[in-house]
Amino acid sequence: MMRIFSSYRTEIAIAVAIVVLELALGILVPNALTFGNISDIAQASAPLIIMAVGVLLVVITGGIDLSVGSIFSLTGMVTGLAMNSGYNSVLSTILGLLVGVVFGGINGFLVTFVGLAPFVVTLITYAVAASLAFIVTNGHSLPINDQNYYLLNGGTLIPGVPNFVLFCVVLVIVTEFVLRRVVAGRWVYAIGSSTNAARLLGIPVHRIRFSVYVVSGLCASFASVLSVSYISNAEGTAGEAMMLQAIAAVVIGGASLFGGTGSAFGALLGALMITVIQNGVNLIGINSFWQGSVTGLVILVAVLIDRVSKARR
Amino acid sequence: MADKGFLLDARGITKSYGPTHVLRGMDFAVAPGEVHAFLGGNGAGKSTLLKIVADVVNRDGGTLNFDGHSVDEPQGAAARARGLAIVHQELAVLPHLTVAENIELPHYHRGLALFDRRAADRTALSALALIDRDFAEHAAHRLVGDLSLHEQQMVEIARALKSGARLLLLDEPTTNLTAGEAQRLFAVLRRLVSETEIGVVFVSHRMREIRQVADVCTIIRDGVAAVHRKPVTELTDADIVELMGQASALTETPVGGELPAAVSAAHVDAPRLKIEGLGFPVEVGGGAILGLAGAPAGPQALIDLLIGAAPLPGVVIRIGDHPQGYRSPREAVRDKVGFVSGDRANRGMLSALPIIDNMLASRRIVERRVLVSGKEAAQARSLLSALSIKASSYWALPSSLSGGTQQKLIIARWLQLQPRMLVLEEPTRGVDIGTKRDIYALIRVMAQAGTTIVWWSTEQTELVELCDTVLGFGPDGRATQLLHGAEITEERLAEATGMAA
Repeated sequence: MMRIFSSYRTEIAIAVAIVVLELALGILVPNALTFGNISDIAQASAPLIIMAVGVLLVVITGGIDLSVGSIFSLTGMVTGLAMNSGYNSVLSTILGLLVGVVFGGINGFLVTFVGLAPFVVTLITYAVAASLAFIVTNGHSLPINDQNYYLLNGGTLIPGVPNFVLFCVVLVIVTEFVLRRVVAGRWVYAIGSSTNAARLLGIPVHRIRFSVYVVSGLCASFASVLSVSYISNAEGTAGEAMMLQAIAAVVIGGASLFGGTGSAFGALLGALMITVIQNGVNLIGINSFWQGSVTGLVILVAVLIDRVSKARR
Repeated sequence: MADKGFLLDARGITKSYGPTHVLRGMDFAVAPGEVHAFLGGNGAGKSTLLKIVADVVNRDGGTLNFDGHSVDEPQGAAARARGLAIVHQELAVLPHLTVAENIELPHYHRGLALFDRRAADRTALSALALIDRDFAEHAAHRLVGDLSLHEQQMVEIARALKSGARLLLLDEPTTNLTAGEAQRLFAVLRRLVSETEIGVVFVSHRMREIRQVADVCTIIRDGVAAVHRKPVTELTDADIVELMGQASALTETPVGGELPAAVSAAHVDAPRLKIEGLGFPVEVGGGAILGLAGAPAGPQALIDLLIGAAPLPGVVIRIGDHPQGYRSPREAVRDKVGFVSGDRANRGMLSALPIIDNMLASRRIVERRVLVSGKEAAQARSLLSALSIKASSYWALPSSLSGGTQQKLIIARWLQLQPRMLVLEEPTRGVDIGTKRDIYALIRVMAQAGTTIVWWSTEQTELVELCDTVLGFGPDGRATQLLHGAEITEERLAEATGMAA
C-alpha cells in the first residue's frame, strides 16, 4: 500500500487537484456538479486521453510526437470520406485507423532507422498530414449520417457503461500494466533512461522505438474515429489544438520530456485536468480565448511542484 | 593444449579506421578458469579489440572463435550472445529504473514476458551481497539514478556476475570503487574462477591490482600482441611497463623534466587556502599540493564547496580575500579557481566543440571575452605543441584524441591562466602510465609556479608521491586526519580512510 502511494505520488496529487478544482467550480457555478456536466467532461476528454496515452509512450522513450493532432484531423476526413463513398462503418473505421498506423510507421522509421531527430520528423508529418486533411475534401467538412457508426462512441458493450468510457479505462489500465509489469514496457523506460546503456545491455532499442511511434499514431487515429462518431461530422481542423493539449496532459501527468518517467494514469489525469479547466472557463463565462493562458499556468504549476518535490528528495 | 580449449580465441584481428590501422594482426585468447589481465597504453588498440569481442564493432580481418566455434557461424554467435558479460568503463546503467531491474532486465529476451519483480529482487540481493552485504540489503528498490557513482559501479558488476556468463569482460571495473570494495570484488572473482571455470578478462592500469587478481596477461602494443598469454609472475613491473612501450615513463623523474621546455606557467601569488569546520583546521599555502583521500562522499562534497558548485553546511573556506568561498562555478572561474572533473565525458569535455574551443573555454571566461579573438589560434597552437599533442588540427573534435590526451588537454586549459587554485578530481583515472607521468609533471609545474593544487585521488601511491599535505575522509564522508610530508604513507592513508591498502 505504501509502495503504491509513493510510486503514484504525482498522480494522486493531480487527482486531488482535479477534485478540488471541480468542487470550487461547483460553488461558483451551481450546475458544474450536475450529472450532465460531468458526463460532458468525460465525453470531451475521452479523445484527448486516448491520444495522450500514445504520446506518453513516445515521451517516455525520450522522443516527442508533434504529428498526433494532424493525424487526428486526417483520420476523421478519411473515415468520413469512406463512409460518404458508401463503405460500411467498420471498413471506414479500419481505413481511418490505417492513417495512424501509416503515419506512425513513417515517424518510427525516420526516427529509428534513418536516425533523424523526433522533433524534426514529427514536425514534417504534422505538416503533411495537416495539409492532406484539407486536400481530401478540398477543405469541406463531411457530415456523417450513419446510426451504426454512432454506436462506436455512444453504444454500450457493457450495459450501463458508454463505450467511450470503456475504451479509455481499458486502454489506460492495459497500458499501465504493460509499462509496469511487462518486459517490453520496462524496455520503453530503459530506452528513455539511457539509450546507450539500453543498447549495450542488448535491449531491442530499434524495435521498441519504432513500435511506440506506431502505437502513438494508432492512438491518435482511434481518438479521432471516436470523436467523429460522437460529433457525426468530420472537419479538417478537428485536431489542430489537440497536439499541444496531449503533450501538456502527459507533462502535467508527471512525464519528463527528457524521457524515462511518466505513467498512463498520469496522462489520463493530465487530460482530465485540461478538460476540467476548459469546462470551467466556459461555465464561469470567461472569454474562451483565455483557455490557453489558464492551461499554460496549470502546466507551469504542475511542473514546478514536480521540480520542488524532486529537489527535496 | 588444443585451441579448442579456449573460451575466446581471437587470431590475427585487424581493424582500421580510415587510414589509421588500430589493430594489425592481434592475437588474444582466454582459457576457462583464469583471470586474464589485458594491458596496453592508451591508443594501443585495447578498447577496439574489446569492442570487436563484444560485437559492438566489426573486425576487418582475422578469426574470432567463441567456445570453439567461429562467431561468424550461428553456433558461435549464439555462444557469444549467451556467454559474454561486460562491465563497461563508461557505466551502462539505466538511472530511472530500480537496482533490481538494472540487474535482471538484460536477462529477459522476450518483450511480451511478464517482469517478475520478486524474482528480480531476490537475484539482485544475492548478486549484490557477493560484493557488499550492507548495500545489498537496502538497495534493491532504489532507483539507480539516486545512487552514487561507486554504488552504480557495484550494480553493474553485480549484473555481470549474475548473468551466468562464461566469460566476463571487466574494463577498468575498480575505477569507481573504494579499496575495500575492490578487495571484495577480487575475492569474488577468484572464487568464481576457481569454482565455476569461467574466464575473466581484466583491464586495469593499476599494477598492484593486476598482481593481486590476474594469472596470465596479454599486452597489446601498436595493435599487435607484445606478450601473448604469459603468466603474470614471470614478468616484473618494469617488464610490463617496457613491453607496453612506456619504459621512459618509469626511469624519468616525475619532477618537471620530461615535459618539453615550452611548458611553463607564469608565476602566481596564490593566497593561502583555509578550510574551517571539518573538526580540525586545514591550511595550505600557495603552491602546495593538498591531497584528498577516501571514499567519494567526503572529497566530492568538499570539492563542490571549493569550486562554488554546492554549499556544504558548517564548513567555511577562505581563499585569500574571498572569506565565504564562491556562490557559483562561474564566480570561482572568474576568480581563477580552476576545476578538472573526474567525469571527463559528461562534465569535462564539450564533445560537440572542436579542440580549440575546448582548450580556450576557461580562458574566455577568466578574461571575460566577448568576441572570439584572432589570437586564440596562436594560443591553441602553442599549447598543443608545448604538450606535444598530435592532433590533425585544432578544428578536429576532441573525440579524435585518445582519452589520456583529452585529459591532458583539459588540465592544460589552466596552464597559462595563472590560476590561484586548481581542483582536480581523479585526473589520472583510466589513463596509461606514460600519460599519468605527463599529468603529474603538468601539475608539478603549476604548483611550482605558485598555484595551490587540491587533488582527490583514490590511488594512494599517487597521493604519497605527489602531495605535501593529505586530508583523509572516512567511508561516512567525515574528515578524519590531516597528514603532512613524511607522514604520508600508504599505511597512514589506509588508516585515515578506513580502507585496506
